Amino acid sequence: MKIKAALISLAIILGLAVGFIFFRPHTFHGSVIQSPEPAFDFTLSGSNGDVSLSDFRGKVVLIYFGYTFCPDICPGTLANVAQALRSMGDKAEEVQLIMVSLDPERDTPEKLAEYMGHFDPSFIGITGTKAQIDEVTALYGIFYQKAEGSEATNYLIDHTATLMVLDREGFLKLVFPYGVTSEEIADDLKYMLRQ
Amino acid sequence: MNKTVFNAIYIIAGSLVLSIFAFKVFQPIQVLPRMRLAPAYSFIDQNGQPLTSETLRGHFILYSFTYTHCPAPCYNSNDTIKEIQSRLSEVDLGGIPVSFVTISIDPDRDTPEALKAYGDALNADFSQWHFVTTDNKALLKTIVGAGFETYYEDKGNGEFALDPGFVLVDGWGIIRSEYRYTTEVSDADRILRHLGVLAEEVQNSTGTTKLAYEAAHLFLCYAP
Repeated sequence: MKIKAALISLAIILGLAVGFIFFRPHTFHGSVIQSPEPAFDFTLSGSNGDVSLSDFRGKVVLIYFGYTFCPDICPGTLANVAQALRSMGDKAEEVQLIMVSLDPERDTPEKLAEYMGHFDPSFIGITGTKAQIDEVTALYGIFYQKAEGSEATNYLIDHTATLMVLDREGFLKLVFPYGVTSEEIADDLKYMLRQ
Repeated sequence: MNKTVFNAIYIIAGSLVLSIFAFKVFQPIQVLPRMRLAPAYSFIDQNGQPLTSETLRGHFILYSFTYTHCPAPCYNSNDTIKEIQSRLSEVDLGGIPVSFVTISIDPDRDTPEALKAYGDALNADFSQWHFVTTDNKALLKTIVGAGFETYYEDKGNGEFALDPGFVLVDGWGIIRSEYRYTTEVSDADRILRHLGVLAEEVQNSTGTTKLAYEAAHLFLCYAP
């Protein structure tokens, strides 16, 4: 009888341990947002015409705000996303990265397309008028302003460097801080694609 | 398989279901929902200095909305802020700074000088309480109307229709609670309690306890 009780106790402990490992909630590497409403939809210009956020319903969408003259933060983040997608194999086809330009003066749709292609052929860059960009950035919590640059760049743009993830239904689900690694991005995207 | 193994499986499953049920019912940890991103902005404050959404990153910020020509008593939202400010020491904030930002919806008349006079009349502590607006009316409408989801409209007779309230934003720029103005319940008590809940989450949500906090979010264990 004592052996039986010990075995049951052991089974409970083992079961709880296994349950904890396999059924614990996924720990995201960014801030999870539980918004009851879809993210603000917008339409801006890409090299192949107008691009709306709602065009990508059914895919997990990553939104980043940057510009082609960006010296380090933007290329670093875009390279991390590209690497994360490469590590995901075929699953990457269910993910779309969109970069909204914060520099409508210099970033034409064509220039953006060329720039984004250096990171991943699926990446899309879009731009618009300053008023359009102001509206989109305000509603996505992205602050930006011109700053002094070098002779080569003329001016730089200081900006909030978060990376946002929308689920297949267009709800903002996750905000990655600057510095998130490609492994962390891939880990969270894979989890979201399983949902 | 013998009976002992089956019993063990039932007990494991039962204890798992019970523990989840107990977590949901007793809510040992309470949180505030992460509702949506707060809008970004670049305002001018009562001193004519820029105040941006990045300036106060890391602070808990309580936003309110008004205009200096608002006929008295103008919803008394300033009294609520003063009460919260004077009672902040009641809450264990763990050293996290709290700021108050009152956004004017009337940039034509609410110049920095007018906002300064308004704050002075309230005896406001400007180191913690900022009065701001922007000349860009279209963007102001986007920020206040769409971003903070606070309705206002210029009635054209010097008055505004305004649905007043407060919006609480955490240090990551995420809206954690909204308070529609009410005369029935003390907003100050509720907001002070929520500041404590937020501070507790920031201080304890690291390492393994982060899992417990994420579970509280998952099971919607929201503080009343």
